[in-house]
Amino acid sequence: MNIGIDNYPCQATYDELIDRDGAVRPAAKAMMDHLTGLGLAEIHARRAAVESAILNMGIAFTVYSEGENIDRAWPFDIVPRVMAASEWLRVERGLKQRLAALNMFINDLYNEQRVIRDGILPAGILAGSKNFRPQCVGMKPPFGAWANICGTDLVRDADGTIYVLEDNLRVPSGVSYMLANRLLMKRMFPELFKVCAIQPVDAYSTRLYETLAALSPRTGERPVIVVLTPGIFNSAYYEHSYLAQQMGAVLVEGRDLVVGDDECVYMGTIDGPRRVDVIYRRVDDEFLDPEVFRADSELGVAGLMRAWRAGKVGIANAPGAGVADDKVVYTFVPQLIRYYLDQEPILPNVPSYLCMRQEDRDYVLANLDALVVKPANESGGYGMLIGPRASAAERAACAERIRADPRNYMAQPTLMLSTAPTLVGDSLAPRHLDLRPFILQSEKMYVTTGGLTRVALREGSLVVNSSQGGGSKDTWIVEDPT
Amino acid sequence: MMLARAAENIYWMSRYLERAESTARLVNAASQVLLDLPRGASFGWDVLIKVVGLDKEFHEAYAEANEDNILRFLISDLGNAGSIYSCIARARENSRILREVLPARAWERINSLYLFVRNELGGSLGATQRYKLLDEVIARRQALIGLLSDCMSHDLAYQFLTLGCYTERTDMTTRIVDINAAVLMPRHQVPEDPSLGLLWTGVLTSLHASQMYRRHVSVHLRSAEVLGFLLRDPHFPRTVAYSLNKLESTLVQLPHHAAPLKVLRTAQRRVDTMRLDNLSPALRHEYLDAIQTDLVRLHDSVTREYFRCREVAPAPRHAVAA
Repeated sequence: MNIGIDNYPCQATYDELIDRDGAVRPAAKAMMDHLTGLGLAEIHARRAAVESAILNMGIAFTVYSEGENIDRAWPFDIVPRVMAASEWLRVERGLKQRLAALNMFINDLYNEQRVIRDGILPAGILAGSKNFRPQCVGMKPPFGAWANICGTDLVRDADGTIYVLEDNLRVPSGVSYMLANRLLMKRMFPELFKVCAIQPVDAYSTRLYETLAALSPRTGERPVIVVLTPGIFNSAYYEHSYLAQQMGAVLVEGRDLVVGDDECVYMGTIDGPRRVDVIYRRVDDEFLDPEVFRADSELGVAGLMRAWRAGKVGIANAPGAGVADDKVVYTFVPQLIRYYLDQEPILPNVPSYLCMRQEDRDYVLANLDALVVKPANESGGYGMLIGPRASAAERAACAERIRADPRNYMAQPTLMLSTAPTLVGDSLAPRHLDLRPFILQSEKMYVTTGGLTRVALREGSLVVNSSQGGGSKDTWIVEDPT
Repeated sequence: MMLARAAENIYWMSRYLERAESTARLVNAASQVLLDLPRGASFGWDVLIKVVGLDKEFHEAYAEANEDNILRFLISDLGNAGSIYSCIARARENSRILREVLPARAWERINSLYLFVRNELGGSLGATQRYKLLDEVIARRQALIGLLSDCMSHDLAYQFLTLGCYTERTDMTTRIVDINAAVLMPRHQVPEDPSLGLLWTGVLTSLHASQMYRRHVSVHLRSAEVLGFLLRDPHFPRTVAYSLNKLESTLVQLPHHAAPLKVLRTAQRRVDTMRLDNLSPALRHEYLDAIQTDLVRLHDSVTREYFRCREVAPAPRHAVAA
């Protein structure tokens, strides 16, 4: 018995691998032919092998639950998500364009603020931004790049259009899972890599290293790069250690670092203090430096902001970069692209309603049952209202919150996220998914080949976050069939 | 360049793994020896908890010192920080924060060793099954050592790995050699009593040293000769002399090693100058105890010299630029 696609439902929304007539899309054909050619027993054996590899490799994310941290094995689906290289090329250009504009925007906000003077961004939005850091005003990081590492979430609607859902400019995570997914597929389905022309993804670690090295204040020698982690209890700890490992960088915690009288940053080694050139920090702004931000933080380094402002250390992402990682600022990105680059946006935004605007707010409050409402500054899907799925009481509570603090909310129509075939029991079933590519910018720009595909494993669910029952798939960019 | 915190972690990870393997060998050797004992023999399973120095901890946790309880305590009891399961769980926790220092595969191996122990060693084990599983723990740990030796640069991190391993090993070898102190010998027993021979067989087996002893020393097991071999033989990797030499060659590769090296030399001199002929059990115990004290001092010195510099604010003016 094989897993066939004869009864696969493909009418409800756009499916990444199967078209509306039930035929496999050209880019995915070789892969699907192979998978459906394997017996069911073989598929289950491979899947069991993948699960055991995940356990042994310790690919885990940590969830905080009932007062203790639990490592959960990374839920992985063996059916890859496939995209043709020609389509990806356009997406990649769009992502670079977007990050270039966002970095110009952040740099502008902390310096001249032309964007406000020229009336593109209302001053009130900046005033109400939780992630604007006055401590960063006047800074000009190298290459004008504040967000050196950006994870942008893309979704595809029923008509096939790819939209940008949000830009994660603070400490985006997930890239290690993208790399691990590929490793798993290569281990378990090596033969697939012979029948399909899959573009490799493993350049990321080297590109990340180069992106960080370019921020070093010292030239001429190999810079000392560290990855600053909040520690073993952080949900992305696996990723922090993995990236340090891949870059040959040192994984440090705040307590390993100290800022000297010369405003240089030092780490405590067995041979005394050694100067650090670049910090890839995976600690949020608020916890970075107790001298400047939260005084009770034990995760950061006292004096780090002084060192950064004095140009003695590179920090990625730059403190304050999160100002553009705000779901209200998000709605302005298309205008920002036009304003800074004088170009039309290649990737569209999801149409959005800003609750701070009277007209939009009235519409949102009147149509809560059809909209998705998001707070401006939450991540991981927290605080979100999915109107069509919410109870009347939940909608009423949400309306209250919007009226109390309109600046903090925006709403979007409920998109019918695209699906892809996912192994459920003995057959393939459609599950909704998104895509998070990672974009790097310092001296050069780089976009991952594809990205991390997150999939909502529960039937019908639109929430792909790993903390809320999401899993992932390997993402293949394949050469267009001739 | 080695982060002080990472150095401390790798040192402990290495100690825990060595301890887990030693304990597995000890239990397996004891299982073999006890089978050969005549009825009414003067020692039993309780010797094991005395050897590992956890007598007090055991009796606080268990009412009766029977085979089941003792083995549970040594193998799978998470309440005992020295049990095989605890050691491997701690080694895994330590290695989690060393993933960028260790070869990627090493983490995978340690993790799968942990999963193996967690899944297989719980509960009560039959003797045959126990032997097989502990042997598997030993084999997996040996594979891990091979992997580290072959796939990791023999850099500073590796030196701390070696320090941890051989500090733990010296300690365990002296404890096992001191087994007579744990066994209450009836006064009438002459030194070459057959059950003493059995005891030495157990000692050598638990150090995987039987074959090499026979090959290089003798087929007969005489106290002075076994003792001489296990303390002074420079070629077998689990003897005290070999381990101390290994610690010496490792220490000299580290920066500012004067203080720990001085402590180490004290231990080496002690082993070299010990008189082994006609040694009374009491005096032997005293000697071995002194070596164990030297090891504690060595550990303290290494800790002070290398692991604690992060607690002192650096003086950047004198800082060495990387």
